[in-house]
Amino acid sequence: MTPQTPAALAGLVVIETAERASGEYAGKLLADLGAQVIKVERPGGAPTRAMGPFCNGESALFAYLNTNKKSVVLDLGEPEDRAMLDRLLARAHALLDDHAEAWCESHGLSQTAVAKAHPALVHTVVTPFGQGAPADMQICRPINVINAGGWAYHSPSETPPDKPPLKGSGRFLSDYEAGIDAALCTMASMLRLRRTGQGQFVDISEVEVQLNRIDCVLDRMLAGDVDPSAERTAYDMGGPGTSFACADGHVFLFMTTRQHWKALCELMGDPDWTGDFREDWLEFDCTSPNVARFRENFTGWIARQEKLPITEAAQKAGVAMVPVNTAADLPRHEQFIHREFFQNAEHPVFGKVAYPGACYRMSATPVQVRTPAPALGADQEETLDAAS
Amino acid sequence: MPHPDLQFIDRGGPLKGVRVVELTKVWAGPYAGKMLAHLGAEVIKIESMSNLDEMRAYGGVDINSAPYFLSINQEILSVQVNMKTAEGLDLVKRMIGEADILIDNIRPGAMERSGLDYESLKSIKPDLIQCSIKMWGTDGPLGYQTGYAPCFAALSGLTALVGHEGETPKGMNIRYGDSTVGACAALACVAALHHRETTGEGQFIDLSAVETMTSLVGDSLFAWSVTGEMPESDGNFHPEMCPHGAYPCQGTDWTSIAVANEEEWLALCKVLEAPALAADPRFATLADRLANRHALDAELGALTRPHDAVALSEKLRNAGVPAFKSMSSIDLCTDGFLWAREAYRMVSDHKAGTRPIIGPSWRMSPDPAQIERGAPLLGEHNAYVYRELLGLQEDEMDDLMARKVID
Repeated sequence: MTPQTPAALAGLVVIETAERASGEYAGKLLADLGAQVIKVERPGGAPTRAMGPFCNGESALFAYLNTNKKSVVLDLGEPEDRAMLDRLLARAHALLDDHAEAWCESHGLSQTAVAKAHPALVHTVVTPFGQGAPADMQICRPINVINAGGWAYHSPSETPPDKPPLKGSGRFLSDYEAGIDAALCTMASMLRLRRTGQGQFVDISEVEVQLNRIDCVLDRMLAGDVDPSAERTAYDMGGPGTSFACADGHVFLFMTTRQHWKALCELMGDPDWTGDFREDWLEFDCTSPNVARFRENFTGWIARQEKLPITEAAQKAGVAMVPVNTAADLPRHEQFIHREFFQNAEHPVFGKVAYPGACYRMSATPVQVRTPAPALGADQEETLDAAS
Repeated sequence: MPHPDLQFIDRGGPLKGVRVVELTKVWAGPYAGKMLAHLGAEVIKIESMSNLDEMRAYGGVDINSAPYFLSINQEILSVQVNMKTAEGLDLVKRMIGEADILIDNIRPGAMERSGLDYESLKSIKPDLIQCSIKMWGTDGPLGYQTGYAPCFAALSGLTALVGHEGETPKGMNIRYGDSTVGACAALACVAALHHRETTGEGQFIDLSAVETMTSLVGDSLFAWSVTGEMPESDGNFHPEMCPHGAYPCQGTDWTSIAVANEEEWLALCKVLEAPALAADPRFATLADRLANRHALDAELGALTRPHDAVALSEKLRNAGVPAFKSMSSIDLCTDGFLWAREAYRMVSDHKAGTRPIIGPSWRMSPDPAQIERGAPLLGEHNAYVYRELLGLQEDEMDDLMARKVID
């Protein structure tokens, strides 16, 4: 599809029995880094193939989550197919799963069973609350996980008590966060495997990923440095920073210093109302009434500005005000274009598509989509023959 | 000198024997170091009195017990070097010569000005893995810009997708972003270790904080490129589940509920003792519920309102309906399940003796990395780094301290 460049994980084989976005995203991260990820799909296909949006009958979600992977179909409830999985695992470096313990148990894929049959295998399992959690808790979905981990309750900042906590962007934010930790740990453990020949069990809790991402705020509460509370604003920083509507979209303003304030006043042409604020109000007089008064005045001014020209002028003036970019803004954004973040490609079913790339540009082993997500069972013969 | 491998502080774990040197500040960079340290790597943080990690100053307390700093930097080693002196820079380069990975998140251009750019460092350590974390990455028309986490979330496309329906998209909480950037930096470094293991070759990793946030909305952006349908901030809307949202309970509590099929829908109505809802033609099928979801949310909210959030969500889960209380900071800090599972654990603390920390999201078995020591005092590991790692004599080190090269 595209010229082959060296890949960081070349030579590593990962078997993916995962069937949710968390495990599949971990698999995608590894596959995009060059591991050979063999996706084991149930007859009829992975559940994510049935999730929208669809185009020409195919799932765009599946096409995103499964780039660079291979597909085989196995009915893991059937002894013959289950034995084939063991043969695949015998020549693999890692197994990536995201099922509940009961499922793993009934398919011979518990921690103990896998460790016994395949001592030189990294076995990673991603679940909502980690191994040993009560079964009822493990049915939780991403919106439950992001609520259980605290980010929903505190998002957006300044949400009043009568408005619902939010799930975050899209459908799977907590899954993607967990996928990052799962991929990181699986790779670290595969390094140990290469050095010692020994496998390891890796247990990832999606909720604990959520907790870890807020370490320097929540831990200060845990340690008693500040008081935890039932306040929706407990994670907030205070200050006037927030999103504002402008003439053609939205901007985000962040302001904490007198330099920021002085620069903003100049940018606005020093309107009279700014004279009511102390020059150092952001540092020493940043009260709720002052923030409210500032926003009331600023809202009227910014509403008449266009997001790109005004944020460009702001950056030059030293004001941390940026456009709230939309999906349409990014592919034509000069920095995204320069860094070739989006990879334009031809997809066999969708036609022209733009794959969002990785956030890390690696000089020796660039991440890229080498092959689109596989058709169901596309690699059945080749893969199973190799394992027989 | 003994074999370099013998000098490592051995805590077990998958990255045992990997040495990281970091020039990191605030949150994203230190978080990357923490992730690697929690996996068993030996992570040496370069600091100095004249160039402190701001986190040591937050809160206005003494630099060795600043809560922000303590909450991130467990199992990190601290060495003092004054990088404003030529001798100090030379010592930094010698440390890098002993390291596998170098991570920085200092201002764009600062590494280059100090001669710590990848090309120069390669002559010291040919197989070095260097990861630079910048808001926009290291180059490009906007590569010079710096920014704060809510700014890069806004620039990334993520903020535009988070908000209550029909309102200005406010994005995730203002704290969101830095830690995820650090996690992705750690991930890229470990990927590069594999490449080095295979080929002996190091590399430069150029990490963009904005793109990290963009990668979290990758499926929405890809779907847009396929279908042309513009994703927008959508509250708690889910195109394939309904109800799907957070519903008010007693006091100021909320519980999250996600219903994917008819069985779950009927179970929800049963737990809420609402046969009328189950029989209501407006809500008969998923398509009906989606079409009338605002009416449905209002009806459900009235039904959940009198319930205790914890009891209701447990009852729902036991009936097969995914539900969980929306946890506040006090809920999280006092949660018995999280404490029992060691999501929180204790480490040593120079002042208080011990300190609870938020442990890693993973458990590994066998051979997990030990995580026992809290954040380091400034320069706590000077002797280890200068004497054992670089092989300086005691008088040489004393002299460097007297001349404030070690400062």
